[in-house]
Amino acid sequence: MLTIQVNGVSHTVDAPEDKPLLWVLRENLKLTGSKYGCGQALCGACTVHIDGQPTRACVMPVGAVGNKAVRTVEDIRNEHIGSLVQDAWRALNVPQCGYCQSGQIMAATALLKSNSAPSDQDIDRAMSGNICRCGTYPRIRKAIHKIASEQL
Amino acid sequence: MTHSGVSRRDFIRVSVMAGGGLLVACGGGSSGSRPTTPPSNNNGTPPPTPAEEFILGEFMRIGTDNRITVLVGATEIGQGALTAIPMIVAEELDADWSLVSAEQSPVAANFNNPYFQNLLQFTVASSAIRGYFDAQRSVGAAIRQMLINAAAKQWGVNASSLRTEASYVIDDIGGRSASYGELSSAAANESVPSNPPLKDPASYRIIGTSTQRTDATAKTDGSFKYGMDVDIPGMLTALIARPPRFNGQALSVDDNAALAVPGVRSVHTLPGGVAVVADDFWAAQQGRKALQVSWNELLAGRTDSASQRNDYNLRLNLPGLPIRSDGSTLLAQLQASETLSADYYFPFMAHAAMEPLNVVVDYDGSSAEIWTGTQSATLDKIFAGVVLGLLPDQINFHIMPAGGGFGRRGNPLADFVRDACFVAKALQQPVKVIWTREDDMKGGYYRPAASVRVSASLNSADEITAWTHRVVTQDVTASLYVENALDALHDMELPPLAELTDFETGMPYKIDNVLMDAHLTVLPTMPSLWMRSVNKFSDVFAQETFIDELALRVRQNPYAFRRQLLSEKPRHRAVLDAVSQAANWGRSTAGVSQGIAVMGHWNSFIAQVVEVSVSANRELTVHRVVSAVDCGMAVNPDLVIAQVESAVIFALSSVLSGEILLEDGVVQQSNFDDYPVLRMHQTPIIETVIVNSGNSVGGVGEIGVPCVGPALANAIFAATGERIRELPLSRLNFIIA
Repeated sequence: MLTIQVNGVSHTVDAPEDKPLLWVLRENLKLTGSKYGCGQALCGACTVHIDGQPTRACVMPVGAVGNKAVRTVEDIRNEHIGSLVQDAWRALNVPQCGYCQSGQIMAATALLKSNSAPSDQDIDRAMSGNICRCGTYPRIRKAIHKIASEQL
Repeated sequence: MTHSGVSRRDFIRVSVMAGGGLLVACGGGSSGSRPTTPPSNNNGTPPPTPAEEFILGEFMRIGTDNRITVLVGATEIGQGALTAIPMIVAEELDADWSLVSAEQSPVAANFNNPYFQNLLQFTVASSAIRGYFDAQRSVGAAIRQMLINAAAKQWGVNASSLRTEASYVIDDIGGRSASYGELSSAAANESVPSNPPLKDPASYRIIGTSTQRTDATAKTDGSFKYGMDVDIPGMLTALIARPPRFNGQALSVDDNAALAVPGVRSVHTLPGGVAVVADDFWAAQQGRKALQVSWNELLAGRTDSASQRNDYNLRLNLPGLPIRSDGSTLLAQLQASETLSADYYFPFMAHAAMEPLNVVVDYDGSSAEIWTGTQSATLDKIFAGVVLGLLPDQINFHIMPAGGGFGRRGNPLADFVRDACFVAKALQQPVKVIWTREDDMKGGYYRPAASVRVSASLNSADEITAWTHRVVTQDVTASLYVENALDALHDMELPPLAELTDFETGMPYKIDNVLMDAHLTVLPTMPSLWMRSVNKFSDVFAQETFIDELALRVRQNPYAFRRQLLSEKPRHRAVLDAVSQAANWGRSTAGVSQGIAVMGHWNSFIAQVVEVSVSANRELTVHRVVSAVDCGMAVNPDLVIAQVESAVIFALSSVLSGEILLEDGVVQQSNFDDYPVLRMHQTPIIETVIVNSGNSVGGVGEIGVPCVGPALANAIFAATGERIRELPLSRLNFIIA
């Protein structure tokens, strides 16, 4: 039995320490917003925040999370910037298939929390670990700039 | 291709829902089918209908609360089917768009795509909007008329004195109105008008607007449910160990170590592999790693990329089956002053949709329920029935919206559904079969490799008098058109090959003598499948780079040269002119080179300009891609633009680095590290212009893909003087910035 803090709630889960956090979220806690895309930290679809840092949950053993606060896309609206990101994503019709967007939103929220006026290069650096096969990158870039210029 | 008449789709059945409201069924009817449970609901509203009311064939619900739910037969794979198809219905219905939501339909004949002769639910070939457009309009218009008739009866006035607006029937003379919700029960008793009048497109209020996607909210808060997210009580998770070479079979299995992994429940040998069933994904993955299988590979595929390429190139020297033959190329070649030719090669490529393949099957021995993100639900359900030994009525098949498809989820052979059913059949317990990224990447059904030879003959006046185009590839499009063949055979005619395949590139230039022929090889041990834009990706690449060579050979501007050869193709010419203007053709900034390409297919037309710079050490930077697209009429212009943006990025991934290599039958790529796709920092500025020609609706899912490669290659030539005759560019020692 392990205890982890997810979205402000303490959960005790029956899982081996080496089970990736992603699958604990998805299977044990039924939080399926974080997605499995590659299992190797190559695509970013599983991105969650651990103590505010964007983290690839698919390679993070749940036993290594400890008492750190995990936040997932299901709860990101409770952060001011997270809700701005979700609103901008909707306003610009960013999602297509949508499968990568939980990870994109978590990565963009982390970027804007640390940098309220990101340049294109900052966006490239923060977002290039998140693959989108539908090609929503131009709209993601636009949405990040829109939030930074209008709301931060 | 011809579309069937209205007879198969104009049968609309209406009934009153138990809780009030109007329930509409359209199509061939299926009242004998067993009730299904409501499909997963992705818009946050509770399913308003009890299971026993949700009969197959239901098309739309109008609730007494005024909410309208449209069931969509095409699969949402990112293209916006759950938005654009309801827009079409809502337009003719005169609905309040803010109260319209969408769900994936059940698998039933009523939801078959008219594009495929009403035979299949099949979300391929850019056919969702252009296929369903007319049928959806008729349904919306019929229901609107019934609501009007119900109001007229209630108010004792003539129906023709009433009008509708935003889900209300309005009596201007009597100064009263009633909502669709209020009228829905009464409307259900009205007879169905057989030929409801359709709106003049000039009066559209919803079609032609850039409404927000109906799935935008659920796709930004983590609540949208894909197949991967389906969770049912008692469900186990299975991973399948597959043979290293296609068509291998398990010879012997040592499952002791696998079964010793905590959480692993059982191991089952299947026709295509060995399934490890466990309590969760992690245990299944650990179990599969511990599994020892020796494979019988006597009949397995031994495709080797290098020797396969040599074989294809040799066959380019032999005539193939003619696909298009205008005039006499042989005669024209004999009379030509010069004949130029070029050979091209394109490797296998993987679709690599973000959501790896997965299927949930709940099979209890006498019936089954199946959930999966698929583009080919009708055929999947048939194959599931064959594997499980069940009749269609005993299978409740839920189409899940998919995390990308690109053709991989539209396999007429239903590979991923079949092997999940084999697992379920052995297990007789609910199970989710998950493909890891590596399984998905190595699992075959790739865009087929192709060799292409193009030639052009010039006369002494430098006019092109003959054009030939020969392709060697695997035939994966022919089966798409099999229904045409069946119809034709029924009429005792055998149609020409060109009508059975989708191979024709639609080479648009005014050239009198044209021969296109093909070697369509069949390789059962090298599974290939269509991938977004099918053979146009390779054939248009060859065509549009070669026409550029000819332009330079006769010392003409590539844009002007094409324009002159398109004198009889006004829609090609219009997009070519539009992109030339939008991209400022011929006036790029210093150090930036431009390339251009044009094509038409899927009832749509596009021209694209790519701007690139190439450094001395071959570092390639794509700066901008400008597109002008004519899809007849854009149902939702923002979705059209999004599809073009998507296609440009998809194409760049393929052109820059898309390559699946096989060595002695073994796929060498496995994940996004060795099969790189475009990322944010490599994405150019993308600008898209819609050319509204007012023609009938064309497809937009694929049209943005094929011209990107040749326009880029033409730009690289402009920058470096180097002709690109094979892909991907990473193989030619370009560094992708």
